[in-house]
Amino acid sequence: MTRRKFIPLIGIAATAGYASMKLQKPPRVPDGPPGKSAVTIIRARSYSEDLVSRMLEGVRECGLDVRGKRVLLKPNLVEFESSTVINTDATVVAAAVELFHRLGAAEVKIGEGPGHRRDTLDLADDAHYRSTVAKFEGIFTDLNRDDVSLVRDFGDEPEFYFPKTVLAADLIVSLAKMKTHHWAGATLSMKNLFGLVPGSIYGWPKNKLHYIGIPLAVAQLSRKFRNTFAIVDGVVGMEGNGPIQGTPKPVGVLVMGRDLVAVDATCCRIMGIDPEKVEYLRMAADIGHVHPDRIEQRGESVDSVHSNFALIEEFRGLRLA
Amino acid sequence: VGELYLDSRLDFLRTAQNPDGGWGYFPGKQSWLEPTTYAMLALHGRPESQSAVEKAWTLVRSWQTPEGSFRPSGNVDGGTWVTAHMVTLASVRGVYDDKVRRSVDWILSVVGAEHSLTMRAAAFFGLVKTKMDFSHGGWPWRQGNAAWIEPTAHTLVALKKVAASYQSSDLDHRVREGEALIFSRRCSDGGWNCGNPNNLNVDLPSYPETTALALMGLQGRSSQELAGPLEVARRYRKDTKSSLAKAWLTIALRCHGDNPEPPADAARKSEDCMLAAVEALGHPNGNHGLLRVGGRA
Repeated sequence: MTRRKFIPLIGIAATAGYASMKLQKPPRVPDGPPGKSAVTIIRARSYSEDLVSRMLEGVRECGLDVRGKRVLLKPNLVEFESSTVINTDATVVAAAVELFHRLGAAEVKIGEGPGHRRDTLDLADDAHYRSTVAKFEGIFTDLNRDDVSLVRDFGDEPEFYFPKTVLAADLIVSLAKMKTHHWAGATLSMKNLFGLVPGSIYGWPKNKLHYIGIPLAVAQLSRKFRNTFAIVDGVVGMEGNGPIQGTPKPVGVLVMGRDLVAVDATCCRIMGIDPEKVEYLRMAADIGHVHPDRIEQRGESVDSVHSNFALIEEFRGLRLA
Repeated sequence: VGELYLDSRLDFLRTAQNPDGGWGYFPGKQSWLEPTTYAMLALHGRPESQSAVEKAWTLVRSWQTPEGSFRPSGNVDGGTWVTAHMVTLASVRGVYDDKVRRSVDWILSVVGAEHSLTMRAAAFFGLVKTKMDFSHGGWPWRQGNAAWIEPTAHTLVALKKVAASYQSSDLDHRVREGEALIFSRRCSDGGWNCGNPNNLNVDLPSYPETTALALMGLQGRSSQELAGPLEVARRYRKDTKSSLAKAWLTIALRCHGDNPEPPADAARKSEDCMLAAVEALGHPNGNHGLLRVGGRA
């Protein structure tokens, strides 16, 4: 067969396959692990509120004990654009530092490895982290350039490297932003774990994760790091063409919990997205709860804070019925 | 001109060298090839640093893999984009031996995965959401992944530097392809980001640091082709707050014949070894000329 004939054939086959995937109704998501997961929704209408007290309320509802633990806060610091809200707000990061100190953590650090930009501290400066978080540079680690250790239990990868700061933490707190995502549908506490992967080895962007497949990589990272807690900044989220070029979407909530799958599923419901159609959540349904009857909702109800996020055309099918 | 600026950075590098001979991204951290390369270039040719540079060279040479690539750090298996840095370092040092030849062989064997026939076909039929031209072969961060601006730019510098010794039509072809890839991924604002100028039909903005690196890789192209990007780089250098971006932009502009205003004569403020080295390289009396290449391969 000549190359001239081969290329159109590949195109037709790929188009047919893509179309059939779109038409098929996905099978039911498995029930997940035994028991239920607590997820707390706390009202926070603006960043000027007392966020420490709000978060404290949420942590207590979830029964989290961090006394004597080494806590690593992982914000979502991606790029900066003053006209929109790409990153976890600096006030949320500052409040979380204070919160975990108050709760008796032995150590509270902040770590992030942005996926696109090389100058992480400059990005943190733009996002007002340096001016808002007390002694920021003393507690911050650029995970893209940290020392690394080999791990052999990351998905199907025979070997993978993670920053030592991440591996040394007793608890990783995913301080995510509530956003839509042009490849994954939504980016919340689980996708935020992409920033744990070191750019010094995997590059800017961390293209290795794209080749694993974004949904699978998100699920694998969540499976690898189970010592986690999520605080999703939905005070002002991002809708439309997220995670960078979308528009601000005020929701006025913080969503918190130990089961990242359940937290993300709850966030999706708040955003008007059907979590059972989000591929990475389907892939991670063995480690956490997606079904609403397996999530113990505390604080505000989903219905009381629900606000449909605008979705790009590719993801209109994710809209919650 | 501003000797405090330069001396404080070079002194810092001398004191921040690890006992194994390499440099970490920060003092006391594990040695990596990337900051070690920049530190070696910054200290190159300075008599008081000769033994430090030799020790570093011995260390990083030991990181070559059997297939010719270089590991990014001593405890990391598998070669990556940093292999280009090793070829550049070897060229600067006038070393051209079997190790260097095998590195160049490896570099020429690697191409961005999006350049595969399947991906080009998928792009042709509109199954790819990005507006990227997959017809040009550039270089990825890691073998098996897609090509991006930064690894392609570093590799172009390396290949242009080693071209006179390696001499092959394949090398010439790959240089032309790499340059074409960089041009094809230029953002609508005139600069470059990490390598994706448009997503879902929305133009994405360029970044100062990748604009600088793209211009490094495009050394030797005509001034007419580069007039626009150089203007963008000059504007970025004036406006950016990022010390790293400013330092890379300074080097890039100097390599293209500009003589940008020297920095204020301020002592180093950061504990970042790579930043100190890149800033030292860009100083008027720094070694930025080591990254200059003489024209097309």
